[in-house]
Amino acid sequence: MSNDEPKSPPRRDFLGIAVGGSATVFAVAAGYPVARFIEPRTRPPSGPTVVGKVLEFPPGTVKSVMVDERPVLVVRAADGQFRAFSALCSHLQCVVGYAPERNQIECPCHRGVYSMDGQNIGGPPPRPLEELQVSVNEGAIIVSSVG
Amino acid sequence: MNAEQPRKRVREGWLSDRLGWGGISTALAKHRAPRRGFVFYLGGITLFLLLVQVLSGVLLVLYYKPDSTNAHASVERIVGEIPYGDLIRGVHVWASDFFVACLVAHLFTIVIRRSYKPPHELTWLSGLVSLVIGIGMAFTGAILPWSQKAYAQARVGSEIAHNIPLIGGWMHRLLRGGQEVTSNTLSNAYGFHVAVLPATVTLLVGLHLFFLSRKPAPVPVSEQVVDEEPGAQGEADAAKAPAAPVDDDDTIPLYPDFLYRQAVAWVGVLVAVLTLAIFADRPLGEAADPRLSSTGAQPPWYFLPFHQIIRSSPRELLGIDGAKFIVGATCFLGALVVALPFLDRKGSKLMAWAGWIVLFVLFLLATSALS
Ligand code: FES
Repeated sequence: MSNDEPKSPPRRDFLGIAVGGSATVFAVAAGYPVARFIEPRTRPPSGPTVVGKVLEFPPGTVKSVMVDERPVLVVRAADGQFRAFSALCSHLQCVVGYAPERNQIECPCHRGVYSMDGQNIGGPPPRPLEELQVSVNEGAIIVSSVG
Repeated sequence: MNAEQPRKRVREGWLSDRLGWGGISTALAKHRAPRRGFVFYLGGITLFLLLVQVLSGVLLVLYYKPDSTNAHASVERIVGEIPYGDLIRGVHVWASDFFVACLVAHLFTIVIRRSYKPPHELTWLSGLVSLVIGIGMAFTGAILPWSQKAYAQARVGSEIAHNIPLIGGWMHRLLRGGQEVTSNTLSNAYGFHVAVLPATVTLLVGLHLFFLSRKPAPVPVSEQVVDEEPGAQGEADAAKAPAAPVDDDDTIPLYPDFLYRQAVAWVGVLVAVLTLAIFADRPLGEAADPRLSSTGAQPPWYFLPFHQIIRSSPRELLGIDGAKFIVGATCFLGALVVALPFLDRKGSKLMAWAGWIVLFVLFLLATSALS
Protein backbone atom coordinates (compact mmCIF):
# COMPACT_ATOMS: atom_id res chain seq x y z
CA MET A 1 0.00 0.00 0.00
CA SER A 2 1.55 3.32 -1.00
CA ASN A 3 1.79 6.19 1.50
CA ASP A 4 0.34 8.82 -0.80
CA GLU A 5 -3.12 7.11 -0.93
CA PRO A 6 -5.80 9.59 0.28
CA LYS A 7 -6.77 9.23 3.95
CA SER A 8 -10.24 10.77 3.44
CA PRO A 9 -13.17 8.38 2.80
CA PRO A 10 -13.49 7.26 -0.78
CA ARG A 11 -15.49 9.54 -3.06
CA ARG A 12 -18.37 7.03 -3.34
CA ASP A 13 -18.81 6.96 0.44
CA PHE A 14 -18.79 10.72 0.53
CA LEU A 15 -21.42 10.92 -2.22
CA GLY A 16 -23.53 8.31 -0.45
CA ILE A 17 -23.42 10.30 2.81
CA ALA A 18 -24.15 13.55 0.96
CA VAL A 19 -27.15 12.09 -0.90
CA GLY A 20 -28.52 10.35 2.21
CA GLY A 21 -28.00 13.45 4.34
CA SER A 22 -29.68 15.81 1.89
CA ALA A 23 -32.57 13.38 1.42
CA THR A 24 -33.09 13.28 5.19
CA VAL A 25 -32.88 17.06 5.52
CA PHE A 26 -35.29 17.49 2.63
CA ALA A 27 -37.75 14.94 4.06
CA VAL A 28 -37.78 16.71 7.43
CA ALA A 29 -38.00 20.17 5.83
CA ALA A 30 -40.86 19.09 3.55
CA GLY A 31 -42.64 17.11 6.28
CA TYR A 32 -43.40 20.09 8.47
CA PRO A 33 -45.25 22.25 5.90
CA VAL A 34 -47.07 19.15 4.63
CA ALA A 35 -48.19 18.23 8.16
CA ARG A 36 -49.35 21.80 8.76
CA PHE A 37 -51.14 21.87 5.42
CA ILE A 38 -53.20 18.73 6.07
CA GLU A 39 -53.98 19.62 9.69
CA PRO A 40 -57.64 20.71 9.56
CA ARG A 41 -58.58 24.21 10.72
CA THR A 42 -60.74 24.40 13.82
CA ARG A 43 -63.59 26.85 13.69
CA PRO A 44 -64.55 28.71 16.86
CA PRO A 45 -68.15 28.05 18.00
CA SER A 46 -70.57 30.43 16.35
CA GLY A 47 -72.24 31.40 19.65
CA PRO A 48 -75.95 31.24 20.57
CA THR A 49 -78.14 30.12 17.66
CA VAL A 50 -81.81 30.81 16.97
CA VAL A 51 -83.38 27.42 16.28
CA GLY A 52 -87.01 28.42 15.68
CA LYS A 53 -90.11 30.09 17.08
CA VAL A 54 -91.89 28.96 20.23
CA LEU A 55 -95.01 28.17 18.15
CA GLU A 56 -93.08 25.55 16.21
CA PHE A 57 -92.48 23.58 19.43
CA PRO A 58 -95.84 22.56 20.93
CA PRO A 59 -95.68 21.31 24.56
CA GLY A 60 -94.77 17.60 24.80
CA THR A 61 -92.68 17.52 21.61
CA VAL A 62 -89.07 16.83 20.79
CA LYS A 63 -87.46 18.36 17.76
CA SER A 64 -84.05 17.91 16.22
CA VAL A 65 -82.21 21.06 15.05
CA MET A 66 -78.67 21.94 14.00
CA VAL A 67 -76.40 24.13 16.13
CA ASP A 68 -72.79 24.66 15.04
CA GLU A 69 -73.09 21.83 12.52
CA ARG A 70 -74.12 19.44 15.29
CA PRO A 71 -77.54 17.90 15.86
CA VAL A 72 -79.35 19.05 19.00
CA LEU A 73 -82.59 17.77 20.56
CA VAL A 74 -84.90 20.51 21.80
CA VAL A 75 -87.35 19.05 24.31
CA ARG A 76 -90.46 20.97 25.27
CA ALA A 77 -92.05 19.38 28.32
CA ALA A 78 -95.83 19.23 28.83
CA ASP A 79 -95.54 22.21 31.22
CA GLY A 80 -94.00 24.30 28.42
CA GLN A 81 -90.41 24.29 29.75
CA PHE A 82 -87.60 24.01 27.19
CA ARG A 83 -84.47 21.89 27.52
CA ALA A 84 -81.85 21.17 24.88
CA PHE A 85 -79.38 18.29 24.64
CA SER A 86 -76.64 17.51 22.21
CA ALA A 87 -78.01 14.67 20.06
CA LEU A 88 -74.58 13.05 19.93
CA CYS A 89 -74.41 9.87 21.95
CA SER A 90 -71.79 9.97 24.70
CA HIS A 91 -70.64 6.53 23.62
CA LEU A 92 -69.41 6.84 20.01
CA GLN A 93 -71.28 9.90 18.80
CA CYS A 94 -74.12 8.36 16.80
CA VAL A 95 -77.13 10.66 16.50
CA VAL A 96 -79.71 9.78 19.14
CA GLY A 97 -83.44 10.14 18.60
CA TYR A 98 -86.64 10.41 20.58
CA ALA A 99 -88.68 7.19 20.84
CA PRO A 100 -92.26 8.40 21.59
CA GLU A 101 -93.61 4.89 22.22
CA ARG A 102 -91.22 4.47 25.17
CA ASN A 103 -90.87 8.19 25.96
CA GLN A 104 -87.09 8.00 26.06
CA ILE A 105 -84.12 9.00 23.97
CA GLU A 106 -82.43 6.10 22.20
CA CYS A 107 -79.22 5.53 20.32
CA PRO A 108 -79.72 2.93 17.61
CA CYS A 109 -76.02 2.21 17.04
CA HIS A 110 -75.31 0.12 20.15
CA ARG A 111 -78.70 0.30 21.89
CA GLY A 112 -77.89 3.14 24.26
CA VAL A 113 -80.82 4.57 26.24
CA TYR A 114 -81.27 7.99 27.86
CA SER A 115 -84.09 9.35 29.98
CA MET A 116 -85.92 12.50 28.87
CA ASP A 117 -83.63 14.55 31.10
CA GLY A 118 -80.58 13.24 29.23
CA GLN A 119 -79.39 10.71 31.83
CA ASN A 120 -77.76 7.54 30.47
CA ILE A 121 -79.97 4.74 31.75
CA GLY A 122 -79.11 1.77 29.53
CA GLY A 123 -76.53 0.32 27.15
CA PRO A 124 -72.92 1.36 26.74
CA PRO A 125 -73.12 5.21 26.90
CA PRO A 126 -70.80 6.24 29.73
CA ARG A 127 -72.15 9.74 30.35
CA PRO A 128 -75.41 11.71 30.15
CA LEU A 129 -76.12 13.74 27.01
CA GLU A 130 -74.50 17.16 27.06
CA GLU A 131 -77.08 19.74 28.12
CA LEU A 132 -77.18 23.15 26.42
CA GLN A 133 -78.60 26.45 27.59
CA VAL A 134 -81.96 27.41 26.11
CA SER A 135 -83.53 30.85 26.32
CA VAL A 136 -86.57 32.45 24.75
CA ASN A 137 -86.33 35.98 23.43
CA GLU A 138 -89.31 37.65 21.76
CA GLY A 139 -90.78 34.31 20.71
CA ALA A 140 -87.47 32.99 19.35
CA ILE A 141 -85.78 29.96 20.90
CA ILE A 142 -82.05 30.43 21.34
CA VAL A 143 -79.67 27.56 22.08
CA SER A 144 -76.15 28.13 23.34
CA SER A 145 -73.41 26.65 21.20
CA VAL A 146 -72.26 23.11 21.85
CA GLY A 147 -69.18 22.80 24.05
CA MET B 1 -49.85 -27.23 -34.18
CA ASN B 2 -48.58 -28.16 -30.72
CA ALA B 3 -49.09 -26.05 -27.56
CA GLU B 4 -45.52 -24.79 -27.63
CA GLN B 5 -46.00 -22.92 -30.91
CA PRO B 6 -48.05 -19.89 -29.71
CA ARG B 7 -45.60 -19.40 -26.84
CA LYS B 8 -42.77 -19.60 -29.30
CA ARG B 9 -44.44 -16.99 -31.47
CA VAL B 10 -44.71 -14.65 -28.47
CA ARG B 11 -41.08 -15.25 -27.61
CA GLU B 12 -40.02 -14.42 -31.12
CA GLY B 13 -42.54 -11.70 -32.05
CA TRP B 14 -42.03 -7.98 -32.62
CA LEU B 15 -43.11 -6.97 -29.12
CA SER B 16 -41.14 -9.73 -27.53
CA ASP B 17 -37.98 -8.52 -29.28
CA ARG B 18 -38.48 -5.11 -27.72
CA LEU B 19 -39.42 -6.35 -24.26
CA GLY B 20 -36.93 -9.15 -24.08
CA TRP B 21 -39.84 -11.40 -23.12
CA GLY B 22 -37.82 -14.57 -23.55
CA GLY B 23 -35.57 -13.53 -20.68
CA ILE B 24 -38.48 -12.51 -18.47
CA SER B 25 -40.44 -15.72 -19.04
CA THR B 26 -37.35 -17.84 -18.46
CA ALA B 27 -36.69 -16.00 -15.20
CA LEU B 28 -40.32 -16.41 -14.12
CA ALA B 29 -40.32 -20.07 -15.05
CA LYS B 30 -37.41 -20.65 -12.67
CA HIS B 31 -39.59 -19.65 -9.73
CA ARG B 32 -41.70 -22.44 -8.34
CA ALA B 33 -45.17 -22.21 -6.84
CA PRO B 34 -47.19 -24.80 -4.93
CA ARG B 35 -49.10 -27.19 -7.15
CA ARG B 36 -52.11 -27.63 -4.87
CA GLY B 37 -54.09 -25.45 -2.50
CA PHE B 38 -56.55 -22.66 -3.20
CA VAL B 39 -54.97 -20.56 -0.46
CA PHE B 40 -51.96 -19.83 -2.67
CA TYR B 41 -54.18 -18.00 -5.13
CA LEU B 42 -55.71 -15.63 -2.55
CA GLY B 43 -53.00 -13.00 -2.79
CA GLY B 44 -53.24 -12.85 -6.57
CA ILE B 45 -57.04 -12.71 -6.45
CA THR B 46 -56.82 -9.82 -3.98
CA LEU B 47 -54.52 -7.97 -6.34
CA PHE B 48 -56.91 -8.61 -9.22
CA LEU B 49 -59.84 -7.27 -7.17
CA LEU B 50 -57.82 -4.15 -6.40
CA LEU B 51 -57.40 -3.65 -10.13
CA VAL B 52 -61.15 -4.13 -10.72
CA GLN B 53 -61.85 -1.51 -8.08
CA VAL B 54 -59.38 0.95 -9.55
CA LEU B 55 -60.88 0.58 -13.03
CA SER B 56 -64.51 0.81 -11.90
CA GLY B 57 -63.57 3.62 -9.49
CA VAL B 58 -61.98 5.66 -12.29
CA LEU B 59 -65.30 5.47 -14.15
CA LEU B 60 -67.36 6.45 -11.10
CA VAL B 61 -65.14 9.48 -10.47
CA LEU B 62 -66.33 10.92 -13.79
CA TYR B 63 -69.80 11.52 -12.35
CA TYR B 64 -69.35 11.62 -8.59
CA LYS B 65 -69.48 14.99 -6.79
CA PRO B 66 -67.59 15.04 -3.49
CA ASP B 67 -69.57 17.61 -1.50
CA SER B 68 -72.30 17.01 1.03
CA THR B 69 -75.00 18.78 -1.01
CA ASN B 70 -74.46 16.86 -4.25
CA ALA B 71 -72.77 13.58 -3.33
CA HIS B 72 -75.88 11.49 -2.73
CA ALA B 73 -77.69 12.93 -5.74
CA SER B 74 -74.66 12.26 -7.94
CA VAL B 75 -74.59 8.59 -6.89
CA GLU B 76 -78.35 8.38 -7.47
CA ARG B 77 -77.73 9.78 -10.93
CA ILE B 78 -74.96 7.25 -11.62
CA VAL B 79 -77.28 4.43 -10.62
CA GLY B 80 -80.49 5.75 -12.15
CA GLU B 81 -79.56 7.73 -15.26
CA ILE B 82 -76.10 6.94 -16.54
CA PRO B 83 -76.05 3.92 -18.90
CA TYR B 84 -74.64 0.90 -17.03
CA GLY B 85 -74.04 3.12 -14.01
CA ASP B 86 -75.74 0.66 -11.67
CA LEU B 87 -73.61 -2.16 -13.06
CA ILE B 88 -70.37 -0.21 -12.61
CA ARG B 89 -71.29 0.88 -9.09
CA GLY B 90 -72.38 -2.69 -8.31
CA VAL B 91 -69.04 -4.06 -9.55
CA HIS B 92 -67.17 -1.47 -7.48
CA VAL B 93 -69.13 -2.20 -4.30
CA TRP B 94 -69.09 -6.01 -4.63
CA ALA B 95 -65.42 -6.04 -5.65
CA SER B 96 -64.69 -4.03 -2.52
CA ASP B 97 -66.44 -6.65 -0.36
CA PHE B 98 -64.61 -9.49 -2.11
CA PHE B 99 -61.37 -7.55 -1.76
CA VAL B 100 -61.68 -7.23 2.01
CA ALA B 101 -62.82 -10.86 2.29
CA CYS B 102 -59.78 -12.05 0.32
CA LEU B 103 -57.44 -9.82 2.33
CA VAL B 104 -58.76 -11.25 5.59
CA ALA B 105 -58.72 -14.83 4.26
CA HIS B 106 -55.16 -14.27 2.99
CA LEU B 107 -54.12 -13.04 6.44
CA PHE B 108 -55.64 -16.02 8.22
CA THR B 109 -54.17 -18.56 5.84
CA ILE B 110 -50.75 -17.00 6.40
CA VAL B 111 -51.21 -17.26 10.18
CA ILE B 112 -52.62 -20.77 10.10
CA ARG B 113 -49.86 -21.96 7.75
CA ARG B 114 -47.31 -19.95 9.80
CA SER B 115 -45.87 -18.47 6.62
CA TYR B 116 -44.92 -15.29 8.48
CA LYS B 117 -41.94 -16.88 10.15
CA PRO B 118 -38.40 -15.73 9.29
CA PRO B 119 -37.20 -14.86 6.71
CA HIS B 120 -40.64 -13.60 5.65
CA GLU B 121 -40.93 -10.68 8.08
CA LEU B 122 -40.85 -7.98 5.40
CA THR B 123 -43.48 -9.74 3.28
CA TRP B 124 -45.63 -10.06 6.39
CA LEU B 125 -45.27 -6.42 7.43
CA SER B 126 -45.93 -5.03 3.94
CA GLY B 127 -48.97 -7.31 3.70
CA LEU B 128 -50.33 -6.19 7.06
CA VAL B 129 -49.98 -2.51 6.24
CA SER B 130 -51.69 -3.19 2.91
CA LEU B 131 -54.53 -4.88 4.83
CA VAL B 132 -55.00 -1.83 7.05
CA ILE B 133 -54.96 0.46 4.03
CA GLY B 134 -57.36 -1.85 2.18
CA ILE B 135 -59.80 -1.61 5.07
CA GLY B 136 -59.24 2.17 5.08
CA MET B 137 -60.17 2.24 1.40
CA ALA B 138 -63.35 0.31 2.10
CA PHE B 139 -64.18 2.60 5.05
CA THR B 140 -63.63 5.86 3.15
CA GLY B 141 -65.53 4.45 0.16
CA ALA B 142 -68.52 3.64 2.37
CA ILE B 143 -68.70 7.33 3.37
CA LEU B 144 -68.83 8.67 -0.19
CA PRO B 145 -72.55 8.10 -1.00
CA TRP B 146 -73.31 10.42 1.96
CA SER B 147 -76.39 8.47 2.90
CA GLN B 148 -77.79 8.22 6.43
CA LYS B 149 -75.75 5.06 6.89
CA ALA B 150 -72.60 6.66 5.43
CA TYR B 151 -72.99 9.63 7.78
CA ALA B 152 -73.34 7.36 10.82
CA GLN B 153 -70.30 5.36 9.73
CA ALA B 154 -68.27 8.54 9.37
CA ARG B 155 -69.31 9.55 12.90
CA VAL B 156 -68.67 6.25 14.62
CA GLY B 157 -65.54 5.44 12.60
CA SER B 158 -63.89 8.76 13.38
CA GLU B 159 -64.91 8.51 17.03
CA ILE B 160 -63.40 5.03 17.28
CA ALA B 161 -60.21 6.45 15.75
CA HIS B 162 -60.35 9.15 18.45
CA ASN B 163 -59.84 6.42 21.06
CA ILE B 164 -56.63 5.09 19.50
CA PRO B 165 -53.78 5.69 21.95
CA LEU B 166 -51.34 8.53 21.12
CA ILE B 167 -52.48 9.39 17.60
CA GLY B 168 -56.25 9.29 18.20
CA GLY B 169 -56.85 13.04 18.41
CA TRP B 170 -54.91 13.72 15.22
CA MET B 171 -56.64 10.90 13.33
CA HIS B 172 -60.04 12.13 14.49
CA ARG B 173 -59.37 15.62 13.13
CA LEU B 174 -57.89 14.28 9.94
CA LEU B 175 -60.78 11.89 9.24
CA ARG B 176 -63.36 14.56 9.97
CA GLY B 177 -61.53 17.42 8.35
CA GLY B 178 -62.12 19.39 11.56
CA GLN B 179 -63.98 18.75 14.80
CA GLU B 180 -67.32 17.85 13.30
CA VAL B 181 -68.63 15.51 10.60
CA THR B 182 -69.34 17.93 7.76
CA SER B 183 -68.77 18.34 4.05
CA ASN B 184 -65.03 18.51 4.91
CA THR B 185 -65.26 14.93 6.16
CA LEU B 186 -66.65 13.88 2.81
CA SER B 187 -64.00 15.67 0.78
CA ASN B 188 -61.24 14.26 3.00
CA ALA B 189 -62.67 10.75 2.60
CA TYR B 190 -62.80 11.32 -1.16
CA GLY B 191 -59.18 12.48 -1.31
CA PHE B 192 -58.01 9.50 0.70
CA HIS B 193 -60.20 7.06 -1.22
CA VAL B 194 -59.21 8.07 -4.74
CA ALA B 195 -55.64 9.26 -4.29
CA VAL B 196 -53.73 8.77 -1.04
CA LEU B 197 -54.75 5.23 -0.16
CA PRO B 198 -54.68 3.68 -3.66
CA ALA B 199 -51.24 5.22 -4.31
CA THR B 200 -49.95 3.92 -0.97
CA VAL B 201 -51.42 0.47 -1.43
CA THR B 202 -49.95 0.21 -4.94
CA LEU B 203 -46.52 1.00 -3.55
CA LEU B 204 -46.95 -1.48 -0.72
CA VAL B 205 -48.24 -4.25 -2.96
CA GLY B 206 -45.22 -3.67 -5.21
CA LEU B 207 -42.95 -4.04 -2.18
CA HIS B 208 -44.91 -7.07 -0.99
CA LEU B 209 -44.39 -8.80 -4.35
CA PHE B 210 -40.74 -7.82 -4.41
CA PHE B 211 -40.18 -9.27 -0.92
CA LEU B 212 -42.10 -12.36 -1.93
CA SER B 213 -39.95 -12.80 -5.02
CA ARG B 214 -36.82 -12.60 -2.87
CA LYS B 215 -38.13 -14.99 -0.22
CA PRO B 216 -40.92 -17.07 -1.75
CA ALA B 217 -43.63 -18.51 0.45
CA PRO B 218 -42.80 -21.93 1.86
CA VAL B 219 -44.57 -24.73 0.02
CA PRO B 220 -46.34 -27.53 1.88
CA VAL B 221 -43.45 -30.01 1.84
CA SER B 222 -40.92 -27.57 3.30
CA GLU B 223 -43.50 -26.81 5.98
CA GLN B 224 -43.38 -30.45 7.09
CA VAL B 225 -39.63 -30.10 7.40
CA VAL B 226 -40.00 -27.01 9.60
CA ASP B 227 -42.45 -28.88 11.80
CA GLU B 228 -39.54 -30.98 12.91
CA GLU B 229 -38.23 -27.92 14.82
CA PRO B 230 -35.01 -27.22 12.91
CA GLY B 231 -32.05 -25.88 14.78
CA ALA B 232 -30.36 -22.58 14.10
CA GLN B 233 -28.44 -24.09 11.20
CA GLY B 234 -31.65 -25.39 9.66
CA GLU B 235 -33.20 -21.94 9.80
CA ALA B 236 -30.16 -20.31 8.29
CA ASP B 237 -30.28 -22.83 5.46
CA ALA B 238 -33.97 -22.17 4.95
CA ALA B 239 -33.23 -18.45 4.77
CA LYS B 240 -30.57 -19.02 2.16
CA ALA B 241 -32.64 -21.44 0.10
CA PRO B 242 -33.75 -20.13 -3.29
CA ALA B 243 -37.20 -20.79 -4.67
CA ALA B 244 -36.03 -24.20 -5.64
CA PRO B 245 -38.51 -27.00 -6.16
CA VAL B 246 -38.79 -29.09 -3.03
CA ASP B 247 -40.41 -31.89 -4.93
CA ASP B 248 -41.76 -31.73 -8.44
CA ASP B 249 -44.99 -33.34 -7.33
CA ASP B 250 -45.56 -30.41 -5.03
CA THR B 251 -44.52 -27.44 -7.13
CA ILE B 252 -45.11 -26.06 -10.60
CA PRO B 253 -43.31 -23.28 -12.51
CA LEU B 254 -44.62 -19.80 -11.66
CA TYR B 255 -44.84 -19.12 -15.39
CA PRO B 256 -46.78 -20.29 -17.26
CA ASP B 257 -48.49 -22.94 -15.06
CA PHE B 258 -49.20 -21.03 -11.86
CA LEU B 259 -50.01 -17.72 -13.54
CA TYR B 260 -52.38 -19.40 -16.00
CA ARG B 261 -54.20 -21.07 -13.12
CA GLN B 262 -54.26 -17.74 -11.35
CA ALA B 263 -55.86 -16.19 -14.44
CA VAL B 264 -58.56 -18.86 -14.37
CA ALA B 265 -59.26 -17.95 -10.73
CA TRP B 266 -59.51 -14.26 -11.74
CA VAL B 267 -62.07 -15.11 -14.41
CA GLY B 268 -64.08 -17.05 -11.80
CA VAL B 269 -63.98 -14.14 -9.36
CA LEU B 270 -64.94 -11.66 -12.07
CA VAL B 271 -67.93 -13.79 -13.03
CA ALA B 272 -69.01 -13.92 -9.37
CA VAL B 273 -68.64 -10.13 -8.96
CA LEU B 274 -70.54 -9.44 -12.19
CA THR B 275 -73.32 -11.85 -11.26
CA LEU B 276 -73.79 -10.20 -7.88
CA ALA B 277 -73.56 -6.71 -9.42
CA ILE B 278 -76.36 -7.61 -11.84
CA PHE B 279 -78.65 -9.60 -9.57
CA ALA B 280 -77.95 -8.47 -5.98
CA ASP B 281 -78.92 -4.86 -5.47
CA ARG B 282 -76.92 -2.72 -3.03
CA PRO B 283 -79.45 -0.06 -1.99
CA LEU B 284 -78.11 3.44 -1.65
CA GLY B 285 -80.37 4.48 1.24
CA GLU B 286 -81.69 7.92 2.08
CA ALA B 287 -79.53 11.02 1.78
CA ALA B 288 -77.79 12.01 5.01
CA ASP B 289 -79.72 14.28 7.32
CA PRO B 290 -77.53 14.99 10.35
CA ARG B 291 -80.60 15.81 12.43
CA LEU B 292 -82.04 12.31 12.10
CA SER B 293 -81.27 9.44 14.44
CA SER B 294 -78.70 6.99 13.05
CA THR B 295 -81.29 4.22 12.61
CA GLY B 296 -80.20 1.18 10.58
CA ALA B 297 -76.55 2.17 10.70
CA GLN B 298 -75.28 -1.40 10.69
CA PRO B 299 -71.55 -1.38 9.97
CA PRO B 300 -70.13 -3.31 7.00
CA TRP B 301 -69.77 -7.07 7.59
CA TYR B 302 -66.04 -6.90 8.32
CA PHE B 303 -66.63 -4.63 11.29
CA LEU B 304 -69.46 -6.75 12.72
CA PRO B 305 -67.33 -8.64 15.29
CA PHE B 306 -65.89 -5.37 16.58
CA HIS B 307 -69.37 -3.80 16.53
CA GLN B 308 -70.69 -6.66 18.67
CA ILE B 309 -67.88 -6.26 21.22
CA ILE B 310 -68.48 -2.51 21.40
CA ARG B 311 -72.24 -3.02 21.71
CA SER B 312 -71.97 -5.48 24.57
CA SER B 313 -69.19 -3.73 26.44
CA PRO B 314 -69.82 -2.26 29.89
CA ARG B 315 -69.51 1.48 30.40
CA GLU B 316 -66.21 1.05 32.19
CA LEU B 317 -63.53 -1.62 32.19
CA LEU B 318 -60.79 -1.50 34.83
CA GLY B 319 -61.74 2.10 35.50
CA ILE B 320 -61.32 3.07 31.83
CA ASP B 321 -64.12 4.19 29.52
CA GLY B 322 -65.44 0.98 27.87
CA ALA B 323 -64.95 2.09 24.24
CA LYS B 324 -61.47 3.44 25.00
CA PHE B 325 -60.50 0.18 26.67
CA ILE B 326 -61.71 -1.93 23.74
CA VAL B 327 -60.00 0.22 21.12
CA GLY B 328 -56.78 0.22 23.19
CA ALA B 329 -56.95 -3.58 23.63
CA THR B 330 -57.55 -4.01 19.88
CA CYS B 331 -54.49 -1.85 19.12
CA PHE B 332 -52.45 -3.97 21.53
CA LEU B 333 -53.61 -7.18 19.84
CA GLY B 334 -52.86 -5.58 16.47
CA ALA B 335 -49.31 -4.82 17.66
CA LEU B 336 -48.91 -8.47 18.69
CA VAL B 337 -50.06 -9.59 15.24
CA VAL B 338 -47.54 -7.22 13.64
CA ALA B 339 -44.79 -8.65 15.84
CA LEU B 340 -45.79 -12.29 15.18
CA PRO B 341 -42.71 -13.23 13.12
CA PHE B 342 -40.46 -11.77 15.81
CA LEU B 343 -42.32 -13.39 18.71
CA ASP B 344 -42.91 -16.76 17.10
CA ARG B 345 -39.61 -17.28 15.34
CA LYS B 346 -40.04 -20.97 14.68
CA GLY B 347 -43.67 -20.80 13.62
CA SER B 348 -45.19 -22.84 16.42
CA LYS B 349 -48.27 -24.94 15.73
CA LEU B 350 -49.94 -23.14 18.62
CA MET B 351 -50.33 -20.09 16.39
CA ALA B 352 -52.13 -22.13 13.76
CA TRP B 353 -54.61 -23.22 16.43
CA ALA B 354 -54.89 -19.66 17.72
CA GLY B 355 -55.66 -18.57 14.14
CA TRP B 356 -58.52 -21.05 13.85
CA ILE B 357 -59.89 -20.12 17.27
CA VAL B 358 -59.79 -16.37 16.50
CA LEU B 359 -61.54 -17.03 13.19
CA PHE B 360 -64.26 -19.03 14.94
CA VAL B 361 -64.75 -16.37 17.64
CA LEU B 362 -64.96 -13.62 15.01
CA PHE B 363 -67.58 -15.66 13.17
CA LEU B 364 -69.63 -16.10 16.35
CA LEU B 365 -69.40 -12.39 17.14
CA ALA B 366 -70.42 -11.42 13.60
CA THR B 367 -73.44 -13.70 13.61
CA SER B 368 -74.55 -12.50 17.03
CA ALA B 369 -74.19 -8.88 15.84
CA LEU B 370 -76.74 -9.64 13.13
CA SER B 371 -79.32 -10.89 15.63
S1 FES C 1 -72.92 5.38 19.83
FE1 FES C 1 -74.67 5.41 21.01
S2 FES C 1 -74.70 3.58 22.05
FE2 FES C 1 -72.85 3.54 20.90
